[in-house]
Amino acid sequence: MSAGTQVHANLTEEQVREISGDLEEPEWLLETRLEALAALEELDMPDVIRTPGRDWTNLHDLDFESLVDPLNAAENKDQVGPEEAEVLSWSDAVQEHEELLKEHFGSIVDPQENYLTALSTALFSTGTVIYVPEGVDAEDVAIRTEQNSRSLFNYTLVVTEESSSVTILERQSTGEEAEEQYYSGVVEIAAGENSYVQYGSLQNLSEEAYNFTVKRGVADTYATIDWIEGNLGTQLTKTEVSTTLSGDSSETQIVGAFYGHNDQHFDLDAKVWHRAEHTTADLVTRGVTDDVARSVYEGVQDVGSDAWDTSSYQRENTLMLSDESEADASPKLIINNHDTEASHSATVGQIDAEDLFYMTSRGVDPRSARNMLVEGFFVPVLEEIDVDELRDDLEGLIGARLRQRD
Amino acid sequence: MSSDQDHLKETDTEARFEFKKEENAAVRSGKGLTEEVIRMISEDKDEPDWMLERRLRALEQYHNMPMPSDWPGMPDLSELDVEEIIPYIRPDVDKREGVDDWTELPDEIKDTFDKLGIPEAEKNALSGVGAQYESEVVYQNMQEQWEEKGVIFCNMDEAVREHPELVKEHFMTTCVPPSDNKFAALHGAVWSGGSFVYVPEDVTVEMPVQAYFRMNSEGMGQFEHTLIIAEEGSEVHYIEGCSAPKYGTHNLHSGGVEVFVGEDAHVQYSTVQNWSKNTFNLNTKRAICEENGTMEWVSGSMGSKVTMLYPCTILKGRGSTDTHITIALAGEGQDIDTGAKVYHNAPETSSTIESKSISKDGGRTNYRGLVHIADGAENASTAVECDALMFDNESTSDTMPYMEIEESKVDVAHEATVGKIGDEDIFYLQSRGLDDDDAKKMIVAGFIEPITEELPIEYAVELNRLIELEMEGSLG
Amino acid sequence: MARLELRNLHAEVAEGDEKILEGVDLEVQSGEIHALMGPNGSGKSTTAKVIAGHPAYEVTEGEVLLHLEDEEFGEDIEIDEDQRTWNLLDLEPNERAALGIFLGFQYPAEIEGVTMTNFLRTALNAKIEEREELFEDEEGEEAEEEDEGFENSPMEGPADDGEVGVAEFQGILQEKMEQLEMDEKFAQRYLNAGFSGGEKKQNEVLQAAILEPSIAVLDEIDSGLDIDRLQDVSNGINALRDEQGTGILQITHYQRILDYVEPDHVHVMLDGQIAKSGGPELAEKLEDKGYDWVRDEVYGTA
Repeated sequence: MSAGTQVHANLTEEQVREISGDLEEPEWLLETRLEALAALEELDMPDVIRTPGRDWTNLHDLDFESLVDPLNAAENKDQVGPEEAEVLSWSDAVQEHEELLKEHFGSIVDPQENYLTALSTALFSTGTVIYVPEGVDAEDVAIRTEQNSRSLFNYTLVVTEESSSVTILERQSTGEEAEEQYYSGVVEIAAGENSYVQYGSLQNLSEEAYNFTVKRGVADTYATIDWIEGNLGTQLTKTEVSTTLSGDSSETQIVGAFYGHNDQHFDLDAKVWHRAEHTTADLVTRGVTDDVARSVYEGVQDVGSDAWDTSSYQRENTLMLSDESEADASPKLIINNHDTEASHSATVGQIDAEDLFYMTSRGVDPRSARNMLVEGFFVPVLEEIDVDELRDDLEGLIGARLRQRD
Repeated sequence: MSSDQDHLKETDTEARFEFKKEENAAVRSGKGLTEEVIRMISEDKDEPDWMLERRLRALEQYHNMPMPSDWPGMPDLSELDVEEIIPYIRPDVDKREGVDDWTELPDEIKDTFDKLGIPEAEKNALSGVGAQYESEVVYQNMQEQWEEKGVIFCNMDEAVREHPELVKEHFMTTCVPPSDNKFAALHGAVWSGGSFVYVPEDVTVEMPVQAYFRMNSEGMGQFEHTLIIAEEGSEVHYIEGCSAPKYGTHNLHSGGVEVFVGEDAHVQYSTVQNWSKNTFNLNTKRAICEENGTMEWVSGSMGSKVTMLYPCTILKGRGSTDTHITIALAGEGQDIDTGAKVYHNAPETSSTIESKSISKDGGRTNYRGLVHIADGAENASTAVECDALMFDNESTSDTMPYMEIEESKVDVAHEATVGKIGDEDIFYLQSRGLDDDDAKKMIVAGFIEPITEELPIEYAVELNRLIELEMEGSLG
Repeated sequence: MARLELRNLHAEVAEGDEKILEGVDLEVQSGEIHALMGPNGSGKSTTAKVIAGHPAYEVTEGEVLLHLEDEEFGEDIEIDEDQRTWNLLDLEPNERAALGIFLGFQYPAEIEGVTMTNFLRTALNAKIEEREELFEDEEGEEAEEEDEGFENSPMEGPADDGEVGVAEFQGILQEKMEQLEMDEKFAQRYLNAGFSGGEKKQNEVLQAAILEPSIAVLDEIDSGLDIDRLQDVSNGINALRDEQGTGILQITHYQRILDYVEPDHVHVMLDGQIAKSGGPELAEKLEDKGYDWVRDEVYGTA
């Protein structure tokens, strides 16, 4: 079934031409956008999990016609980084690095993969390009976006040359709140040979907002891509973080933390595609559901038939703080090469009553004890974060949300 | 050791399953699924009207439902043309309910079951035996002591006539309605044969009852229906075995199993499935468990071209328990997509799912499972463990579990591993004198040991023989 | 009598070209106890694995020979003149085992689901069958081809195939376990699964006692044992030699076990070669002074 009927009625080629023109984009980029726009009619919503009688996430009820307001995008954006690396706004990148964009734009996330990627490609008006030259170590690149409009379409490209490294934080929050807002982001990372990328994300949009993001990286030989995926905001988030390990001995880690409360709905995918020899993946997600929130997690470890000597691990743990919340999980293994060591595990439960009793018996009041245990639950995830701002703020936001509860 | 094992040993296992008999049918339906075919089946069985109505309703539902298509990693069913399947063949035997003496059977049918070792097993290890050939049960017998205690073990067609109130209430109503899925609807329209088991309150049937299903004719479909009702405090172990000779065209097996586990009752349902590699094996098996009842599913899937089987337990009563033990082995050209479904709909319910799969020579295994814990099912617990062993790089091993947890006071754990058969382990065994083949066989036997130890010894033997046979091709 | 002879043995890791053995010469006879000592990485464990036929190593030069005398395997098996010497490098690990080579592993594999009883009886029968095949007259070779496999639950093993039946085997196992002061429950446990380090080592010696090898290579059988278990294991090794005339090649780091299992010969391995050989006194000197003096002596005079 096509989702296209929902929005494209009030979207026009002229709007797309205007966005592209304002950014002074070359013809080929405009073409890519127009093709994506045209494809909307044919494309489906991203896949969601279905079990007998249940859809884990329902994207079809989203009213894109009222959510999408392409020509009135407004934001506050910081794009900062050390001198060694180039951290460019999209319009600067278009002027200075057209060849780089030509090579990488749309090469990792197919603009026409589904309805929402095509929508994002046709309409994005802001973005960041991070280019790290050979041998350069760049720390603390930060992109901070504050959304001030009904809809905002964002694009991020990270390219690391051989033996370089970079740590990145990209965060979103809401400035001017509206009743319903839509944030859409596409992130592509091309990690060159023997390079290292840590890309951390902290999504803290308003709880009225809807969010769709795809973050995908391709790791070359000996390259490492580590993702940190923090989700706290929005009423509905559909996000995918994935790595294709296409170079021998490449590695990836996908670390996720989420905390859903009220009626938030998080649909989080973590996926790794082992496509070369001696590759390693480690997927770790920890999350909390409270009130009537629902979390939906899909993890995929896909080992191709040429992926000899693969190691692949996945763990997902969810703590349920309320009886009305729901936690769904589907960790999948797709193994086509027998020279593989792969495992996954998933648990769902409450705070351990024994642990709670132990702490209260030492005189800690039950509320503090619970908060300490929940904060402790996130520690293994927080420890993986290289960028201080991300670690501190994620920890702070989790703490604040906990203390907000009675 | 019991004499049926001697018997098993005497006959070459391969020969026991691969032989085929000349078809000798009394009645044979046309191909495909039309109202005429359904009416003809019902008439030939001399069924009451209500059953014919149920069949026709199911047929309508079948035609209105799409083939399942949006499952990730779904086996390829494109070679299955249901319209080409012959749904009903009644073999030429004198007595319609099946005889209770093997010698009364026509020679070629008796010979079939002799080769499969069924009469021998009956003498030694079983409380009762049913044997189905094509679409009809041809042999049915149970020890007298159980009959005296009110246990019913008869073929399903007979139950429709003799026990209409029980069948009316339980047959494809609350447990597996035809609307459940396309193949359940198909089954509801063309079902034939199968077993009806009724165990009265507080009766423990000490030795298992067994049904054996044999498809002999080319291009046929077998659609037996099994209905088990275990009343409060009762206990029964039902075993089914299946086999068919190999043909060039495809056979279809689409059985339906419904189990009602009463309060404090205990039912074990064991299957050793060895359909030939041209069979599509698409079943719906489901149990409903009342308070403190226990359901155990034990499934060994070695045969078939495609298997899609996810025995389901609905834990309806407080304190009820489910156990799933599943073993799958897929070789060349096979896609064994199997697993478990459990619905925790009441407090203090628990489930344990253990799955072991082996893939080799380009075969594919998939564990597909669903655990649903409903809101209010406090103190429910579930533990799922899936282990897969891969022999070679042509094969595929997938694991696709789904967990839906609506209740917070729960204990949910899922673990899965996939690995290859270990070189160091093989060397260790070789250094003690086992050759390469025997070392691998021993490791596989050990890998599935947690499953075989749950089976009565005779079936553990059978399972091991079958697995060995399946492995022969890839070894050496 | 049997004699294991390593001649100028060179080996490397099969996947790679790292040389590990660079010309090992060594002989072990039935009834003798040899201790092979040396620092980490000197090639001791590799020597053991190459003797047993581990697929991870590739022999690039040299020979591993096993010399047998007539009636090595009892009266029933006639060993012709031309079958007295075997080049082990041509044989599979299980064929080497059938000829009486036993490797006690430093890290025995853990195999779930296979009981000790099933495994050892299968191994014992496989050895007997393989021997028949290896020493069979040319004419009678056709008959024994069909493989019976396991007809019984893997808990118990095949009930009635093989030379040694279940009942007979239970007797043998019980006797050997008593000798080694092993708990009866081991018989029904899965092979090494969940065994402590000491239990695994004890189990290796038990397996040797049951399979009655001509030459046993024991790789660090003494590591990780407490003193009681060290004595049990040592008694087991001495019994192998005294009662079955097994020749022992004992690989060890420590002098300690040599107090209980007194070696006839001690060899020091350095850099993939036997650098020095001597009597028991050599082991004591190593215990006091370490390996550096051997290195000085060897490379000093070279």
